[in-house]
Amino acid sequence: MKKRFDEKAIVLENRRINDRYYKLVFSSAPLSRNIRPGQFLHIRINEGQDPYLRRPFSYFRTSPGKVEILYEVLGRGTLILAEKSKGDPLMVMGPLGNGFRTAIGKRKRVLVAGGIGVPPLVNLAEQFSSDYLLIGTKSKAEILPMAELKKVKAKVLCATEDGSVGFKGFVTGVLEKVIREEDSRQLFIQTCGPKSMMKAVMAIAAKNGIEGEASWDESMACGVGACLGCMVDTKTGLKRACADGPVFSFSELVP
Amino acid sequence: MSVDLTTRIKNLKLKNPVTVASGTFGTSDEYAGYVDYKKLGAIITKTITVRPRPGNPMPRICEVSSGMLNAIGLQNKGLADFIEQKIPYFRKLGVPLIVSIAGESAGEFGLLAKTFDRFRSVVNALEVNLSCPNVESGGVNFMKKQKRILDAIKAVRCQTKLLIFAKLSPELGDVLEIADNVLKRGADGISVINTLRGMSIDINGRTSRIVRDFGGLSGPAIKPVALRYVYQVKKEFGVPVIASGGISDWRDAVEFLIAGADLLAVGTSNFVEPRATMEILKGIRVFCRKEKIKSIKEIRGSYRPRDQKGKGCSR
Repeated sequence: MKKRFDEKAIVLENRRINDRYYKLVFSSAPLSRNIRPGQFLHIRINEGQDPYLRRPFSYFRTSPGKVEILYEVLGRGTLILAEKSKGDPLMVMGPLGNGFRTAIGKRKRVLVAGGIGVPPLVNLAEQFSSDYLLIGTKSKAEILPMAELKKVKAKVLCATEDGSVGFKGFVTGVLEKVIREEDSRQLFIQTCGPKSMMKAVMAIAAKNGIEGEASWDESMACGVGACLGCMVDTKTGLKRACADGPVFSFSELVP
Repeated sequence: MSVDLTTRIKNLKLKNPVTVASGTFGTSDEYAGYVDYKKLGAIITKTITVRPRPGNPMPRICEVSSGMLNAIGLQNKGLADFIEQKIPYFRKLGVPLIVSIAGESAGEFGLLAKTFDRFRSVVNALEVNLSCPNVESGGVNFMKKQKRILDAIKAVRCQTKLLIFAKLSPELGDVLEIADNVLKRGADGISVINTLRGMSIDINGRTSRIVRDFGGLSGPAIKPVALRYVYQVKKEFGVPVIASGGISDWRDAVEFLIAGADLLAVGTSNFVEPRATMEILKGIRVFCRKEKIKSIKEIRGSYRPRDQKGKGCSR
């Protein structure tokens, strides 16, 4: 039985770090010790009924007794979350789901991240040796601040749609360049981000015979595999993103 | 002071009235680590159909004010899988089991009942789901022809000695009239309510936020409606009633007991608070102790209408 917790955590820090991301730090010794890259936390933002359901968040980083998440304000839940301040309680379930593969043999790890898929892959790159971290975004203002990328040992390559930093265009263009420069048989791709991006990454991987994993996300209610709200079509039938995923191998997913 | 929470439904004795609503508690041990299953009065399973059902495409769920809409569509692996894979699990668990069943015809309802009747050592009752809003055949629209409901209940009754609860919803028509008819055809009790059909629109896409136009509304949003039907059914027929609809904390649970509920099925609340059932159980005990109530029999069905001749009411 995997260890799971339902913690009453306390907000230690909650602030906007750039045009896109907010950073929230909360206290929780058991979660900080037990969570792995790619797993998620299911947060009850308020004790009342607004918002009613919990919201799933990937985690960004842990330090002794503390957990950090990065989030975007996208709807009512995150809007309310953004108003939390130091000392506020937060109900946090986790760690939930299955994380990324950490042992990939001698292959080179290529991480392809977009949008809110960036934090979990930065986390993976900080903890496990990786060769490339490719980040795609709309413009410079939305890229994670460089200070947050300091501990990443991989080669970080950015792509912006407006060309304000790094390559102009989509992150998949950078991926294709990496594949051309490297021995594709020696690569292993892990991706997290918008579905359109992950689908494009999977198509490139398939064309080049590269294995990998994608963190697939659907709207969730329970987060533990009970409600069947977040099903993902796989080659072996419908799977629950929350309990059987959210990380699935490319070969498992139906494109 | 220990509080007697024992709940008796005909020949079935449960250690307490707290259970889980169909479809909200997974199919086996999804809540292990959060809930001590053995402390539950009973478990109501996700609805089982004869053949496996893949359910509806995504998105199946969305949040609404004080609740959620779902269009899961009775996804389940079918009868044979349940018998092979889940019955052994529940046999070992030893918690009273109420199996929720749904068929697309009277024949299918009969087959499901006949099959579960062979497992009377594990299965204690059947909840006949006559009111799923998210499927066509066998769903709430299909069952609007009352003859289909009555044929289903008759078919189930013919095939089993198990306790039968008919799960009804106001979406079917007049709940009291239907309850009367299903009880006359052999149902032992009534389960009210199922989700109510609702709608939510994505204003940018100008379309439904879930895959179907309408989905089943559940959660605190439907609690007053559920409470009303539990009260009315109990008052009118005096039969065993399984209450479901927005039960979220011990106060809700006590309200439903006062209205006359025999079993309290905690549903969507499990998604929000995985330990909801355990907290409710604890809360009922604390309430009873404070109120010097020795047995929940003292509060069950204790509702009294207000005196309408009271001051300020007469003209």
